[in-house]
Amino acid sequence: MDTTRILIIDDEPDFTALLKANLEEVGNFEVREVNDSSQALAAALEFQPEVCVIDVVMPGMDGGDVVAQFRAEPELRDVAILMLTALVEENPETSDGETQTGGLPFVSKTSEFSTILRCIEKHLEEHREAIATEEPARPLETWDLG
Amino acid sequence: MLFTVAILFLIIGMDSLWLRITAGLVAMLAFGFMVSRGVADDGSNAARLAEINRDLESRLQRTTEDHRSLDHYFEMLMANVPANIYFKDTKSRFLRVNQSMASWVGRGHPRDLVGKTDHDLFGKEHADAARADELKIIRTGEAITGLVERENFPNGKIGWVLTNKMPFRDSEGNIIGTFGMSSDVSDLVDAQHDLERERNMLRSLIDAFPDKIFARDLERRYIVVNQAMAEWVGAKSPDEMIGKTPADFFPDIVVTAGKREDLRMIKTGEPVLHREWEMEAQPGNVRHYITIKVPLRDADGKMWGIVGMDRDVTEQRRAQEQAIQAEKRMQEMIDNSPAVIAMKDLEGRFLMVNRGFERVFGMDRKDILGFTDLEVIGDKVAARKFQAHDKLVAERGEALQMDEELFVGDVPHVYMSVKFPLRDLDGEVKAVGTIATDITDRKAAERSIHRMNEDLLKANEDLKRAQEQLIQAEKMESVGRLAAGVAHEVKNPLAMIGMGIELLARRISADDAQALDTLERMKRGIDRAKKIVKGLVDYSSARQLAMEPRDIPEVIGDAITLVGYPLKEARVKLVTELPPDLPKVNVDATKLEQVLVNLMINAMHAMPDGGTLTVRAYSSILSGIRRDEGSRSAGHLREGDRVLRIELDDTGSGIDEANMSKLFDPFFTTKATGSGTGLGLAVCRKIVELHHGILELENLPAGGVRASITLKV
Repeated sequence: MDTTRILIIDDEPDFTALLKANLEEVGNFEVREVNDSSQALAAALEFQPEVCVIDVVMPGMDGGDVVAQFRAEPELRDVAILMLTALVEENPETSDGETQTGGLPFVSKTSEFSTILRCIEKHLEEHREAIATEEPARPLETWDLG
Repeated sequence: MLFTVAILFLIIGMDSLWLRITAGLVAMLAFGFMVSRGVADDGSNAARLAEINRDLESRLQRTTEDHRSLDHYFEMLMANVPANIYFKDTKSRFLRVNQSMASWVGRGHPRDLVGKTDHDLFGKEHADAARADELKIIRTGEAITGLVERENFPNGKIGWVLTNKMPFRDSEGNIIGTFGMSSDVSDLVDAQHDLERERNMLRSLIDAFPDKIFARDLERRYIVVNQAMAEWVGAKSPDEMIGKTPADFFPDIVVTAGKREDLRMIKTGEPVLHREWEMEAQPGNVRHYITIKVPLRDADGKMWGIVGMDRDVTEQRRAQEQAIQAEKRMQEMIDNSPAVIAMKDLEGRFLMVNRGFERVFGMDRKDILGFTDLEVIGDKVAARKFQAHDKLVAERGEALQMDEELFVGDVPHVYMSVKFPLRDLDGEVKAVGTIATDITDRKAAERSIHRMNEDLLKANEDLKRAQEQLIQAEKMESVGRLAAGVAHEVKNPLAMIGMGIELLARRISADDAQALDTLERMKRGIDRAKKIVKGLVDYSSARQLAMEPRDIPEVIGDAITLVGYPLKEARVKLVTELPPDLPKVNVDATKLEQVLVNLMINAMHAMPDGGTLTVRAYSSILSGIRRDEGSRSAGHLREGDRVLRIELDDTGSGIDEANMSKLFDPFFTTKATGSGTGLGLAVCRKIVELHHGILELENLPAGGVRASITLKV
């Protein structure tokens, strides 16, 4: 079974290291961390991840800017994106606590690891299905986090 | 014949009766002698002689009768004249006295006095004086008449006698003694003395008078003037003026006017009772006088003169003029005062009012003076009050100040009145004065200032409250921002720790119970921190709502569904009062539900031993907004707005008053550490405020707490 490549973009190295360790321990993942958002695009182009876990609040470029950069890059058009941020809480109305806003899934950073893992697997699966049916990528929508 | 006529003439010419008788006898004897000698000379006339003889005889007869008759007269005279009559010889011995004289000296009969002298009857002094008089009469032949002497009467009385003493002559005219007649004129003299005294007194009186008194005859000659009159015209004495006329002393113009007046008086007989006139007494000194003149009449009522009086009234007049002027000035001042001024006697009748008074009551002072308040003032209630006040001032005898109300027409006026007693010279209160100032405008101004002041105070209060609200709101706002920031910053390390625990949990062997327990505790700690952070985020992120018209009982029902089980567990009985047909309200149902759940959980916690939670909703009109510090939505609701109210009443122990103001502060909690986030109510309020509603908590009188949400329909 192929290893799934996950790119974590977050300015907190402690968090990214522990998330990486958890992910790599429980699943067949190859995880790379980017703690400087300005390096995110280059890292993604080079690493070619299937899933990007992106923080929102970061110095310099924030998560939104990173997503916009990715969407503008044809090579990265098919990457599954999960926004993992402390800005949102777990949504009690969805089973995985996810919130869909502006065409992107948001997961609370303080969710339990299992929840985060479930979300990543779900989007990976959806992503793979989408690629299989060659569904075109959704256009970028603006979203407001208040 | 000539001789006879001469004798007759002699008889007629003689004063004394005796002398006449004697002279008559003498003349007849002489005639008879002449006739008898003629008969002897001429015998042819025998018949004529016989006739003459008859004639003579009849005459003699008549003479004898006359003689007898004269004797009778004399005796009658002597006996009855109320005077003492005596005849004395040259040695002053009484020859004859009348009965009156005899009685007067205390002798029974005139006879007893014959041959006696005054020395036998009177004191030596008197007797010597009488003798001297008599000697003088005998020597000079001159009578002493009209002698009034003071006499010690033999009866001991002292009186006055009028004496006439004359020489007593024989038929040849030789003085053979004296005779006299004296009568008691004590009464007359006394009367005369009285009269004189009276005259002197009157004289002194009129001379003492400062007024100029005069009497004039019809030719305007002065008969009597007093000292003052003399001094007035510059005469040395009153006597100098007697017989002169006013023309001798007064200027022409005065004389002419006086004369005209006198003539009129003579014509009409009317007195001049009070004429004022003036005269330049000295250059530049005009004096004022009043004159009174009354006609003088004799016993028949015929006017024969004028008595009058001139009085100098210059000073009086000046004083009067000054008084009048002073009074006029005073009246002028009083009249020009804007105050209402009046003076009333003790019966309450107006004695004086000023123009201000006339103006207020629209009356002339002639219709006011002499009348009372009740008769003059239309406002009877006020009039009675004024009278009572006046009475009080008169009784107390001191000035009082008071506010008096008066309706002038329909307009109420307020006067500031000073009332004071007016006293006479003996200090007795005789009248009450009032000076009243219309202070209606001032009062109104005072009231409006008072009102304005109150408004200002209220505005100030409002401003202060608004400021406090603003400060509180700002505080809440910054707390909100802070909370959001803190939440984010805290969540990152929390997430990191969570990841670490996750990782460690998988590495610890299942038999290391202590390590597993430690991790479990750490997890719980993270959960707690996450909860707090969630509350903070809720509080800070509740910015936008998904509003739609919703049926409120339905929303309440959903919230109850969520807490139904825990309530039951806590033995809290739920009662709902949710009438149908309540209006729909624009709300974010999810957020409102969150608030209701929060409030119901709070109520449940307030009743640890169970109780009743009543949830009701009703529609009403908003009346009276309780302004709440920190509340930003109060401004959206106005009195009169239609509102829907949700009330949740518990039967717990209520809220400590000390905590009332802190209820909505973030992180305020009364629960034990760890069992509450302290953000619930702050978030609830925030949500309600985003609905432009009001969330309030209050203690119920019967105990327990009422949480109420007021939402605009």
